[in-house]
Amino acid sequence: MLRRDINEFLTQTGPGTPMGELFRQYWLPALHVEELPENDCPPVRVKLLSERMIAFRDSQGRYGLIDEFCAHRGASLWFGRNEESGLRCSYHGWKYDVTGQCLEVPSEEGNSNFCENVKLTSYPLVKVGDLLWTYMGDPARRPGLPEFEFLQVPPEQTYTSKRWQQCNWLQAFEGGIDSSHVTFLHSGGLKNDPLFKGAKGNEYNLNDTKPFFEVADSEGGLFVGARRNAEEGKYYWRITPWVMPAFTMVPPRGDHPVHGHFWVPIDDENCWTYSFDYHPVRALTETERQAMLDGHGVHSKNIPGTYRPAANMDNDYLMDRGAQRRGETYSGIAGIAMQDASLQESMGPIVDRSKERLVPADSGIIKARQKLRKAAVALRDEGVTPPGVDPEHHKVRSAAVVLPQAESFLASSRDAVTVTPGTPQASI
Amino acid sequence: MSPFPSESAWAASAGEARYRIDGTIVSARNARVIALDERAASVARRVADGPWAQAGFFTCENSGPAGDGDEIALRGLDGVPSTLAGLLATDPDVVVVLATDDTGRAQAAAIGRACGARAIMTAGVVLGDGFEADDAVAALRPYARVLLLSADESDVFELLTALRV
Ligand code: FES
Ligand SMILES: [Fe+2]
Repeated sequence: MLRRDINEFLTQTGPGTPMGELFRQYWLPALHVEELPENDCPPVRVKLLSERMIAFRDSQGRYGLIDEFCAHRGASLWFGRNEESGLRCSYHGWKYDVTGQCLEVPSEEGNSNFCENVKLTSYPLVKVGDLLWTYMGDPARRPGLPEFEFLQVPPEQTYTSKRWQQCNWLQAFEGGIDSSHVTFLHSGGLKNDPLFKGAKGNEYNLNDTKPFFEVADSEGGLFVGARRNAEEGKYYWRITPWVMPAFTMVPPRGDHPVHGHFWVPIDDENCWTYSFDYHPVRALTETERQAMLDGHGVHSKNIPGTYRPAANMDNDYLMDRGAQRRGETYSGIAGIAMQDASLQESMGPIVDRSKERLVPADSGIIKARQKLRKAAVALRDEGVTPPGVDPEHHKVRSAAVVLPQAESFLASSRDAVTVTPGTPQASI
Repeated sequence: MSPFPSESAWAASAGEARYRIDGTIVSARNARVIALDERAASVARRVADGPWAQAGFFTCENSGPAGDGDEIALRGLDGVPSTLAGLLATDPDVVVVLATDDTGRAQAAAIGRACGARAIMTAGVVLGDGFEADDAVAALRPYARVLLLSADESDVFELLTALRV
């Protein structure tokens, strides 16, 4: 249960809100690189943290993220012409560069300097890995660029997809640290999904449906350990790292690529889910990459040309009661990503957490909310930089390990949950 | 595809959220909090002031062996003495064990075992950097469904609030 006012505090990320300011301390994924594939390509509308912007790539390959609306009379620059190193409004021809600076007001006389004083709000847009990242906060506090491992490995070892989720970011993110749903909701996937199946760890998962949990602070957020019985005297541990505000990784399975998510608020009722898969030491195989493109594992099959999943709330997520009855899927919805999204969206755009009945197994979620709230308050009241801003905090991994019963999951897994480039993931 | 919204699209809308049944939620958790050491006891005293409907707070006498657990001497914050067996006989549905160091390691194990034998949910909150209490953590691990290793004493309050104690 969460008090109603705290629920509002945590779910509102628009300008001027405490959580909005918290998000504005971090570099956030704004677009997939494929959305701006070449110089002078069509501009793309972007809404993040309840701010409407336009992204474009100019004639010299510079990326820009600027206010969507022209300073003249407020027309959308989405209709603009992206040419000759700038984006020109299609209404009366005002032209802007990637920093939002107005370069030309055609109706003015030749030596008027009127346009020098016209500048649209803009944010940096930088390619790191397969994503374009932006930082929407105070330029004086801008941190180093993100250093998550999925961004750092060579391109042939990594893949990222993107999907629109029709609910508040927090309920989507909470699914990422909620290890107790896997045995139920995703039980079909553990047996059948090409990017999950066949791992030894899956047996432990399916044989022990009542995991024990340990939740521990990390520098950037939390580690959530879920423990199940393994062989005599041993536990199977699945360790999920969370880096604030919204990065989580799923513990690996066998030699399958490792996956995770980044949730970014679009507005208070929608978010982007970025889902990645990478292997720390080898290229993804053709089969793996194809499976990802086909929407297996944590990825979704999207309506071509969009980031909207083909199974979505307008078609009841293609509910298949037959598959549910036969046990091929637990909920009747195909695919791990849409199994999560369908239930999270079913809660409503912003779930009313004052009605929840949480149990001790939800401690990871309880602790994460608490950390978010504390960090947002410390930032608002004392200007404290929150955890996860420092790129050093990004160098974590998920892990799946079998340990003797007496051992602490963290003390024994320090190396396993720390990125050492060029070493394989710790996985069973 | 149908031009009308599906049942999912219709039902998950913000407007429809207004029609959710607003049933009363009875405070379901009957919790007992046991502080294993001195610092844990002072945390328990601060938390005990909260708006709890069904919580009991106890400190644990650490002198003497823990034995099979049932005789572990406890004391309510009002000073009234009790034993673990007495506490468990009041039918708690969650026992939260608080520790900040290792003085209560034997008691931690005994409490965990006794709750485990009665199928009572046990949660452990270990405050501090984790090293001072690593034996207590190891003693609780086999039994505590959840262990929260935390630097933040307000987590105890948040946990009890979230669980509707
Ligand atoms: S069982 Fe968890 S939401 Fe229903
Ligand atoms: Fe999930």
